[in-house]
Amino acid sequence: MGKSVNFAAVLTVWKKELIDHLRDRRTVLMVFMLSVLMGPLLLVGLSYFISNVEEKAEKKEVFIVDVSNAPPLANFLARQDFTVKDPKPDFRDLIKEGKHDAVLVVSPEFAEKFATGSAEVELVYDDTRQNASAQSIGVLRQVLRAFNSEVTAQRLMARGVSPGIVRVVEVRNTNLGTPAQRAAALMFIIPWMALFAGISGCTSVAIDMTAGERERGSLEPLLLNPIDRLSIVLGKWAAVATYAVTIVVLILAGFAVTLVLIPLPKLASLISLSAMQYVSFAALLFPFAPAIGALQMLIATYGRSFKEAQTYVSYLIFVFSFVPVIAQFSQLKDADWQLLVPMLGQMMVLNRVLRGETLGMIYFVVPLIVCAVIATVSIFLLNKLLQKEKIIFGRS
Amino acid sequence: MIEVRELKKKFGDVHAVNGVSFTAKSGAITGLLGPNGAGKTTTIRMIGTLVSIDVGSVSVNGIDAARDPEAVRQTSGLLTDARGLYTRMTARENIRYYADMRGIDRTKSDRTIARFADWLDMGEILDRRTEGFSQGERMKVAITRALVHEPTHVILDEPTNGLDVMTTRALRELIKRLKAEGCTVMFSSHIMQEVAALCDEIIIISHGRVTAQGTTEELLAMSAKNSLEDAFVALAEIENHHMTFDTPTSTINTNKEAA
Repeated sequence: MGKSVNFAAVLTVWKKELIDHLRDRRTVLMVFMLSVLMGPLLLVGLSYFISNVEEKAEKKEVFIVDVSNAPPLANFLARQDFTVKDPKPDFRDLIKEGKHDAVLVVSPEFAEKFATGSAEVELVYDDTRQNASAQSIGVLRQVLRAFNSEVTAQRLMARGVSPGIVRVVEVRNTNLGTPAQRAAALMFIIPWMALFAGISGCTSVAIDMTAGERERGSLEPLLLNPIDRLSIVLGKWAAVATYAVTIVVLILAGFAVTLVLIPLPKLASLISLSAMQYVSFAALLFPFAPAIGALQMLIATYGRSFKEAQTYVSYLIFVFSFVPVIAQFSQLKDADWQLLVPMLGQMMVLNRVLRGETLGMIYFVVPLIVCAVIATVSIFLLNKLLQKEKIIFGRS
Repeated sequence: MIEVRELKKKFGDVHAVNGVSFTAKSGAITGLLGPNGAGKTTTIRMIGTLVSIDVGSVSVNGIDAARDPEAVRQTSGLLTDARGLYTRMTARENIRYYADMRGIDRTKSDRTIARFADWLDMGEILDRRTEGFSQGERMKVAITRALVHEPTHVILDEPTNGLDVMTTRALRELIKRLKAEGCTVMFSSHIMQEVAALCDEIIIISHGRVTAQGTTEELLAMSAKNSLEDAFVALAEIENHHMTFDTPTSTINTNKEAA
């Protein structure tokens, strides 16, 4: 970038910015504490969620009102090892509130109608309640379907007809996924949080160093020193990068310590991060957080005050935090072009690392180059911006 | 010596500075006097290499400001109205930051800081964080910070603006001391008494032009007024070669280079 950089000045600026911001106890403590606590909170939460899902799937429990009205059904359930439970009396309200599993209601006329042909049962559920009745409804439906076909088969055989006549296609279910694995789809939260914390953690520092200097009226005298502006920008960026990398290290340490110290049996089988996986995480997060830090500094410089800059930067963070959500909802399949998109590329690679895939160097080198480009361009433009009189003197 | 020739600067459609020429003599105190919006600050910023020069030239200590701005910043100390301090750092740390950036070693900068602390009576606040400093205290730190490299040329933009009597007095003493040490001092102000009391030479600037230059006595004679205030008003109102008062025109420096 043209003129040679004054490294002594870069070092001076870096040291000053680090000390200055470390003294901002409240902000620093909060950011660092959150980084450290994020791992434990996320992992414990995920673990609880997964074991909850597994438990429900394993329990083989159904809620039925007056199963005694339907002895053949009760008999069928007993043979399938199902436990039949009486629902709470106000189960209709509870289901609506998402606090009760789906319920099967057997009418008193069941036995009579069953004997003459077709009987009716009522299924009570609320399919907008993802976690409670919607899950158990599947179990009940399956049970009823099995009961139906068993009875049909028996009746046909009694009349001397092969049951195959009504069963054109016999479906045999082979589910390779375990409930825990299905819950593991939620694990995308881990890399997402790590990436998000890495970029949002250094926001206040990035803003204070740029828009903050403008607001305080300390930018003009700072630029009066016989130091080229690039050296000042580099010193400031070095401080932001140090801060960002520290946050990432704390986050990873939080994950590591939680996995080692807190017994989370359900999670342990899904993620027991190897040293190689931590290295992969670091290889993606270390360049990413500082690069986005540089971008935040650039955007924040347009703000005449801390508040104004905060608004600008929040747009950026909003975009970054939504990238993975959109990817998740649009069911975007992993593809190599995503490596070129910041955040999306990192998410894709980290998710695959979490799933235990072994990835080639290209998956780390391409995001690294993208980050290097973002950082270089941001610093270059920031340097240009600081030559502008409108920026140097434009105070609120 | 600070030499300014035919300096021009336009912001949008506004001619902030429209052909300013003057010389601030070595080892002297030169005052830049003018009403608000006259172009004092822009002139000073151009001398201090903070603002690019549209037309004309500035030389400080024989160095062309446009050609080698960093050398100008090495030899000069400029205090503008932006005097922001880092509030989480002590006064000393604020000053040291600039000294470190300029590569001045600690023993030397500590000595300079001690000297200024003595002159400006800020021994007590030196190791306190600047959060909650009064206007005067902030000013003292800012001026020490701006002059920590002991420049030979000192340029101050309205240094006494918004200060109480005590700080103003300390500042005036400082300016005299700097002159006694051989510095070339230039400062702007819109308070004529202050300029009259301190300056060896006064430059009156108005509407982006120099309308008069001389000692207090010369200016009084020029304007044919008895009080400096009247002289200032009269001289500030001269526009574009038109003189609104009858004095020997030869001594009035309007748009041509100063001697």
